Formats: sequence, structure tokens, C-alpha cells
Amino acid sequence: METTKNNNNHFLVVHPLDDLPEVKVDTEALGPMPMTRSVKVSLMSLRAYLILMVLLVVYHVVMLAR
Amino acid sequence: MTDKALALTDAGVQDVMPARGRVVKSKWSRDLLTFLMVFGPGLIVMVADNDAGAVSTYSQAGAQYGTHLLWIVLILLPVTYFIQEMVVRLGIATGKGHAAMIYQRFGKWWGLFSLIDLEVVNFLTLVTEFAAIDLALNKLGVDPRYGVPLAAAGLVFIVLSGSYRRWERSVVFLCLLDFAWFAVAYRVGPPMQQIVKHSLVPTMPPGGITPDLMFLVIAIVGTTIAPWQLFFQQSCIADKRLRFADVKWARLDTFVGACITITAAACMMVVGTASHAHGFNFTDPAQMAMDIGTYAGPAVRNVLLLLMINAAVLGTTAISLSSAWAYGEVRGWPHSLQLPVRKAPGFYALYLLSVAAAAAIVLIPRAPLQLIILGVQVLAGVILPSAIIFLQLLLNDKELLGEYANKPWNNWVNWTIIVVLFILSLILAAQVTAPNLFPSAAGGPAT
Repeated sequence: METTKNNNNHFLVVHPLDDLPEVKVDTEALGPMPMTRSVKVSLMSLRAYLILMVLLVVYHVVMLAR
Repeated sequence: MTDKALALTDAGVQDVMPARGRVVKSKWSRDLLTFLMVFGPGLIVMVADNDAGAVSTYSQAGAQYGTHLLWIVLILLPVTYFIQEMVVRLGIATGKGHAAMIYQRFGKWWGLFSLIDLEVVNFLTLVTEFAAIDLALNKLGVDPRYGVPLAAAGLVFIVLSGSYRRWERSVVFLCLLDFAWFAVAYRVGPPMQQIVKHSLVPTMPPGGITPDLMFLVIAIVGTTIAPWQLFFQQSCIADKRLRFADVKWARLDTFVGACITITAAACMMVVGTASHAHGFNFTDPAQMAMDIGTYAGPAVRNVLLLLMINAAVLGTTAISLSSAWAYGEVRGWPHSLQLPVRKAPGFYALYLLSVAAAAAIVLIPRAPLQLIILGVQVLAGVILPSAIIFLQLLLNDKELLGEYANKPWNNWVNWTIIVVLFILSLILAAQVTAPNLFPSAAGGPAT
């Protein structure tokens, strides 16, 4: 609890690191995100595009350095 | 501080628990104090983004194109805020870092790719940070053979306290030193009327759209919104254990940080403009400081050089931590600044290794620094759309985020940003593969 009001109209403010741990989403129990085939293909294309772009940038920088 | 805090239930104060808190009497004080306690990750991620590469890129933009590109920097204010705000929600809702999220929700294969992208670009960026420290120390008359290892030792020292709070306070102090950019820009910059006009009215520099201009624009975008920021802020929020109730304050922290960093970026561009207006050719920011010092005085020169070192130090600590946090999350190592070295040896060793290796490379004979810096910024700009797409997919994961998932308007804004980033990277690709399609710069640099 970050802050609240007690019976005497006072507020208690607690630093996050001093506060009691909060219950968060159990991400490990959720497992991998379900992805359709089209999403998987899009991500693969993105990866290929990224590799190509990185190579182009490296090439461009080497050319500029000459 | 009270020694004991109170465990709270719906009925109010009920029990004494082993925690600490501060009692205040008004809602206003409560809100201010809560904000100050939450404040940190947003400011640090934003101000650290104005690292050595950013100083170099913005001042080069000013030196080549005057204040004509200020409007682009202003547009990047909402862009950088929207992207980092998503990270805030993701970090608070899950309590875990970005690398861990990608690993757990997209699987090992994608997790590994994201991690490799991050670690490679981060390391290259770290090299540029130390290169900038080396350059600035040289100009200050300090031998880099001693100064660079000393800076590296200082950077290691500030994380070794075993206290997140001590680290955060030290870094927030360094962030506040960035306000000196405002004073320098005011002292040497062009008339305010010109700055306001070019900030609010989009204009093209004389010479139109050229490959050099596009390269610089992509570098500006790449330096203002960098992939490491996503990883850093989420891990930082997780390490600070921000709570659901802190979301609005963490957003405000991020917004304040975005405003400061964008204004400081504009100041760097203005300083670059001033250097060119006095007839100096831009080679690197350290030389720019020397040039400006010839007419503005040695105090301004030294302040500029120290600001350059400060920018590099801030960038180094944030980038090295984002690498160490991400690797620790993926490997399942203990990875918190709250832990002493003996309890998180892998996490601290990776931080140390990143800093030491980058510092060592810089002490090897000189490379074309300005080109390396610009190249790394462009590389970050190219990788960014991919990183944001993963972020976008995670933020639409209602199973993961529930009420904190993106709203339709968030998605519209973010997809627009992603499309613009892709267009910029495609233009870069076209320039490299078919340079003849783009005219060369006709006129000289603007002022």
C-alpha cells in the first residue's frame, strides 16, 4: 500500500522499497504468448529485415570512413 | 522516518509491520512525497538518453543545419514519452524486466535475438561513451590513460553500494547537472525568436532533403529513442518495486524526464548552431567546446567539456545496467542493485566487464570517433522499430496486463510511430543501395 488515511486524518507514505511486496501477474505460469501463423511469419520477416538493415548500416559507415 | 510502518487494511491502520514510512498531514504533502519517492527511473532513463552520442549528434545537427531541425526534436517529446509510458505500465504490472518478458512470452528464440541485439548495440554505444570521455579529458589537459580508468572506476563504484537508493540519488544528482546546458545555450545561442520559430514551424534547411540530412535525422531519432531505454526503465521499475498505485506518479516522472531531456537536446543543437555561426567547422563536440571557448571564454569551454563527460557517465551507467539487468533476467541470476556483490556476483561482474572492456577499447589507438558515434545512433534507430513491435505486442497482451493493456488510442499512436520509424529506415536503405536517387547537398550548412 502506498499511502492511506488513518483515523486521525494522517497519511502514511511508504517508499516502494520499504513496502510490503505486491502480488504481480504470475508471468511464468502464463507460459508463451499464443501467436497465429501470420504473427510468426511477420516476426520472422521483421528479423530478416533487421539483419539486412544492420548490414546496410555497417556497409554505409565503412564507405563513409573511406 | 518512523521506525515502524503500519500495515493497512480496508478498515484502516491495523497492525505494526517491519517496514518504514513517513506520516504527513495533508493530501498535498502525501502526493508530493509519494511522487518524490517514486521519482527516479523516468528522469534517469530520459536524461541518460542525452549521452555522449546524443551530445555529438545534436550539436552536429546544429552545426550543419542551424536551428532548422529543432521542430524534429520537439516532435520527439510525445514520441519518447508514449513509448516509455508503455514500459512503465509493463514494469509495474509484471514486476519484471523487459528481457524476461520477451523470453517468457515469446520464447527462447526471440528472447535470445532481442538480448543479442541489445547487448551488441549497448556495447558499441559504451565504446562511444568512453571515446567521448577520452576526447573531453584530452581537451581539459588530463591524460586519458589515467582519466579513462578513473572514470570507469567511478562508474563501478556508484553501483557497488548494495543500495538502489544510493545509486539512484547519485545518478539523479548527475541528471540535474544537465540544467547547465540551458545556461550555456542562453549564453552563446542565437536570438530566442529564431529558436522559437524553428521549434514550432517545420522548415527544411537550405539544400533540401539530402542523404546527409536523412542520415542525421535517423541518427537524431535513434539517439532520442533508443532500444536500451525500454530495457533499462522496466528493469529499474522492477528493481525499485514500484506498485500499482505508483503508475500515475511513474508516468509523471517519465513526462518530467522527457521534457528535461528534449529541452536539453534542443540546447545542444543551439550550441552547435552558435559554433557554426562563428565560422567553426564541426568535427566533434570536444573540439566544438574549444572553438566556442575562444570567444565565450574558458569557463564556458570547461563547462561544455564537463557536460560532455557527465553525459557519457550517465549514459554508461544506464546502458551498462540495462545490459546487466537484461542478462541477469534471462539467465535467472540474482540481479538487483539492492543486493550486495556477494549475493549477485554475475550481475555485478557483467556490469564491470561492460564498463572495463569499453574503457579499454578506447585506450587503443584512435578511430574516427564522430563517424562511429553517428553510425551507432543510426544502428539504434534501425533496431528500434523491431524493439517497439515486441513492446506493442506485450502491451496488447490482456492476459498479462489486464486493465493496464493498451487502449485503442495507444495502439493508433504507437503504430503511427512504428510506421514512421520503418519509413525512415527504408529511406536509409534506399540511400545506401541507390545513392543516385538522392540529390547531393546544394548549399552550405544553414545557420
